[in-house]
Amino acid sequence: MSASESDGSGLFRSLISPGLIDQLFSFCDDHAWTLLVIGTVIGALPPILGLKQGYYMTVISEMFLFAILALSWDIIGGQTGYPSFGNMAFFGIGAYTTAILTKDFSIILPIAMMAAAGVAVGSAVLIGAAVLRLRGHYFAIATLGVLLATQQVSRILDITGGASGKILLQTPSGTVFYYFFFTVLVAEAALVYYLSNTRFGFVLNAIRDDEKKATAMGFNTTYYKTAAWVLSAFFTGLAGGGYSLFNTFINPQTAYNAAWNVELIAMALIGGSGTVTGPIIGAFGLHVVIEYVETAFVGWQLVLLGLVVIGTVIGFPDGITGTLKEYASEMKYYERGGMAATDSNDSAEVASDE
Amino acid sequence: MIAQRWQVMSDVIKNSARSSLNQQDSEPVLRTDDVTKRFGGLTAVDAVNIEVREGEIIGLIGPNGAGKSTLFNCITGTLSADDGRIYLQNQDVTSWPEYKIARAGIGRMFQETRIFDAMSVRKNLLLAAQKGDADIGQLLRRPNESLIARSDELLEYVDLGGLAETRAGQLSFGQQKLTEFIMELMAEPDLLLMDEPAGGINPSMLENLIEYIRAANEDEEATIFLIEHNMDFVMEVADRIYVLAHGERIAEGTPDEIQNNQRVLDAYLGRE
Repeated sequence: MSASESDGSGLFRSLISPGLIDQLFSFCDDHAWTLLVIGTVIGALPPILGLKQGYYMTVISEMFLFAILALSWDIIGGQTGYPSFGNMAFFGIGAYTTAILTKDFSIILPIAMMAAAGVAVGSAVLIGAAVLRLRGHYFAIATLGVLLATQQVSRILDITGGASGKILLQTPSGTVFYYFFFTVLVAEAALVYYLSNTRFGFVLNAIRDDEKKATAMGFNTTYYKTAAWVLSAFFTGLAGGGYSLFNTFINPQTAYNAAWNVELIAMALIGGSGTVTGPIIGAFGLHVVIEYVETAFVGWQLVLLGLVVIGTVIGFPDGITGTLKEYASEMKYYERGGMAATDSNDSAEVASDE
Repeated sequence: MIAQRWQVMSDVIKNSARSSLNQQDSEPVLRTDDVTKRFGGLTAVDAVNIEVREGEIIGLIGPNGAGKSTLFNCITGTLSADDGRIYLQNQDVTSWPEYKIARAGIGRMFQETRIFDAMSVRKNLLLAAQKGDADIGQLLRRPNESLIARSDELLEYVDLGGLAETRAGQLSFGQQKLTEFIMELMAEPDLLLMDEPAGGINPSMLENLIEYIRAANEDEEATIFLIEHNMDFVMEVADRIYVLAHGERIAEGTPDEIQNNQRVLDAYLGRE
């Protein structure tokens, strides 16, 4: 019995043919840039068509924000195989950088945003030099330690406003943040998709699958891991930079939110880590579920959210995108003759030579 | 059919006509001078001298625990030698990091097959072809058509055509072994270290593997240094053989000489 037969993907066999899924993925691969442009146009339309500042615009903006964070986590966690529980440290660093620069130094927003990403990148280089020597659980725990440490630093410094944080009243409109988060998401998705088919992207995946082999093949894995970590920090810091003003308030709990860190990992895993669309689908889907249960089932939201996560992980062990891909690929393999193909052909050929 | 395959292999991977190489006079690709590796009180590799010349297929045999894989690990930089020097193409690489030694032209197949499970077979091959130093432009460039064509041809050659987009982890053990082998061919190494290439594969595939190794050696001009426990296999494929026992080099010679060496027989029978 194959792995997928024992999980929820068996359901697909009776509903959708693997050939159809394979064709769908092939179509998406062949027309990825066209689909990205179509998605960009569709995503840009709502405010133009009359979506006003308010609840729905806020929810959609947050969907974009979480998609950025999940996709950023996936660069280091999914593509490279280093499960970071500390990515929110870069979010907090970015958030405080923008808050301090705009409120205390009256720096204009675009420069403050770039500074937020820059400081996050600088921090990633310094932190990465220490934590990227670790692997697996050790790396996860070390990064969680980094998150808690940075949170504590912001709690004791005066410039960050201590435990009370900072209130930011002079902020742009909701539409500005809608387009800011949306633009960052589109740029990040395009970059990650492009990189996934380059030598850089291949090496990240190789590190995830077998770092020892990657090193034996001549790749200086430290260099690639650091680059992935920095790229992840850049987008997370940028998102954090936007968030402090979007939220009009920042304090250690909101900026360095460990629960959010777990949430964005769940988003990437549920959607399908190691893919471009997976973390985005996961972020959109899970955020909508969170919003719904928080308003419709007050008091039960965490229980229901937990059940959704458990159900999805059982049904889709490789995430939605990953499980579908695995299903299509596996069926294609067996249709070709599977494991017997090479062996039987070889036997026949050897026999004929003799 | 085998003859046709030889022709295909020649067309696929031959980069230039093989010169009439006199292996005895050729330059050593690899030389170890008194390489020693200790683990606490145990000397796993004891002052071992070997020389692998360009164009050769060299076997390394010995009973379990003789130090064969440890010697490979010292050569590739996975372990650092405690004493002695290692020269690759006459360059002293003893203290080089592993990735730098690999970039200098060493390919390695591991005892347990190691490919990148979650990546497609094609991505495994394209990655293998692109190792070495790279500037930012090369890092961000997509694989060119010639590399893709070469990967297709090598896959066809080892009967894995049609599996290019399959996740490598889905392949059978034998198919993974062949994938790892052609990954190394994609990289065009000067020296290919193979740790038990015949381990765990069926007899019919073994026949083909011998042909693939010879073709890689002759057409690809890959010098091959392999560890093997399958005596029939190593005697058939190797030009010369080194024998290790208890970390020491106890013999060196042609397959005929090794088969008739009393010290080697004693070592395998546990008399040494």
